[in-house]
Amino acid sequence: MRNLFLALLALLGLTFGPARHETQQRGTPGAASEATTRIVAAARGVLTSLDDAGRAKVQFAFDDAAQRTRWSNLPTGIFPRQGLRLGDLTAAQRAAVMTLLEAALSANGYRKVNEIMRGDEMLRTTGGRPGGGAPPRGGPPGGGRGGGPTFGTDEYYLAFLGTPSPTTPWMLQFGGHHLAINLTLAGTQASMTPSLPAAQPATYMFEGKEIRPLGRENDTAFALINALDASQRSQAILNSRVADLVLGPGQDGKTIQPEGIRASALSSAQQTMLLDIVREWAGIVNDAFAAPRMAEIRANLTQTYFAWSGPTTNGSAAYFRVQGPTLVIEYAPQGSVDHIHTIYRDPTNDYGAKLASK
Amino acid sequence: MARSWRRSRSRAAAALALALLAGTVASAHRRDEYLQASRIAIGPDRVGIELDLTPGISVADRILADIDADRSGSIGDEEAQLYVSRVAGALSVDVDGAPLAVHVTGSAFPAVEAMRNGEGTIRIAMTAPMPALAGGVHRLHYRNTHRQELSAYLANALVPDSDRVAIGSQDRDVEQRDLVVEYRLRGETVFAVSLWPALAAGLALAGLAVVCRRSINLLA
Repeated sequence: MRNLFLALLALLGLTFGPARHETQQRGTPGAASEATTRIVAAARGVLTSLDDAGRAKVQFAFDDAAQRTRWSNLPTGIFPRQGLRLGDLTAAQRAAVMTLLEAALSANGYRKVNEIMRGDEMLRTTGGRPGGGAPPRGGPPGGGRGGGPTFGTDEYYLAFLGTPSPTTPWMLQFGGHHLAINLTLAGTQASMTPSLPAAQPATYMFEGKEIRPLGRENDTAFALINALDASQRSQAILNSRVADLVLGPGQDGKTIQPEGIRASALSSAQQTMLLDIVREWAGIVNDAFAAPRMAEIRANLTQTYFAWSGPTTNGSAAYFRVQGPTLVIEYAPQGSVDHIHTIYRDPTNDYGAKLASK
Repeated sequence: MARSWRRSRSRAAAALALALLAGTVASAHRRDEYLQASRIAIGPDRVGIELDLTPGISVADRILADIDADRSGSIGDEEAQLYVSRVAGALSVDVDGAPLAVHVTGSAFPAVEAMRNGEGTIRIAMTAPMPALAGGVHRLHYRNTHRQELSAYLANALVPDSDRVAIGSQDRDVEQRDLVVEYRLRGETVFAVSLWPALAAGLALAGLAVVCRRSINLLA
């Protein structure tokens, strides 16, 4: 009898245990409301840390269409940003910005953003080569302003479109070379599309550890393509080379015809692997907003496609795309495994179009 | 035409397989290439073409030399127009084997410095009017041969704006110079399709009414 009671307790523990409870909590309006409160408080903390000139730099109107689309994979110099430049901030102001990012993003998203920025610092100092060397052409040693491309952690910009608020829509924009985060918040709802996490170098050493900012994106995708049988692969693999992002910066509002294998043709385990890939982008944002976003993507899973171009051995440069009714993810190596561009979009809700219109 | 495309597609697939085995795709680098990205919008009565051309840093000087004919270091309006015409001339579009005339509707050039750094994109918008097509399945063949020796291509059909057009499949060669889109065109409008049965039913009812009235008159 006692054993039966313990077994029942164990079953209840498995069903309603901490992990599941945590996931449910993260997706609730309560969790979202709490997250919004923390993000808004952190945004106000940034504003408080600035003087009038700084506040004028960071603040844009919510309907400023030019600023909304002023993001790119390109370095500053080639693609000038506007907003608050990290390199112009005091240590305390910079810490306030990073506190805001930590509040707005998940732990994994915050890690990713930091690693992308640190990688760009490495590009500035070594030209992306482990042994050092000249920076990319046009980039003055150590970076410069107003001329060619400029690299490094100082060259990232923060902007607010609209006033940070727990109720009315506003947008947090953060980015620079190889990074664009466009997070629209509207009360308890959020959209983090379009966003562009990219990396060069894609692998580097930092404090004795190997860092791969987009390593899980790469590895989960190779795991899925290698889990497909021959017939599935023939549907997933495109017979052409895909040299770059199709829906990268500047391609707002466009939807290409989906290609590849439809998720309805995948086994349950393979569908889970596909969701693992998607989570690497959808999970950049705070968990409270990532959970409903993943639920939405899961609900559309049977109408979602996975397409691949390139070799299927991990360690090779291969392009892939995941596309569904509310989702576009592209992963495009720029000719080598050490320079990756990616894009994350929601064709129905880029820049929080659905949230702002409510 | 369709047969030759299928043949070339088979050759292309084989070439891609060889390239993948040899690892040459992985070794190519966009810095050494002229990226030409085409997006094709198929409508019932026209095809829209958006073409973005981005020379990589290593080939930018060659492309600039093509454009900047007077070597002034800048791109004048006439030079831009000439170049756009040359690019458009290297494109071909046909539907079911019938060639379409491609017209340039707009273009924009980046700063020369941005192009030199391998990050400037030339944008060209084009349109090609369609002949009147019957409802059913059609094949649109798009081909871009501009600067083949140093280019990487992307060619994609956009999801059509019109609900009369439904894309079936997209087939490309390995390098995406060729794109064949098979699509289904539905009839003029749903209203037009359903109009004839409605008219026929209306006439039948009117005829029935007349017959009934005569019958009633006769009985009376």
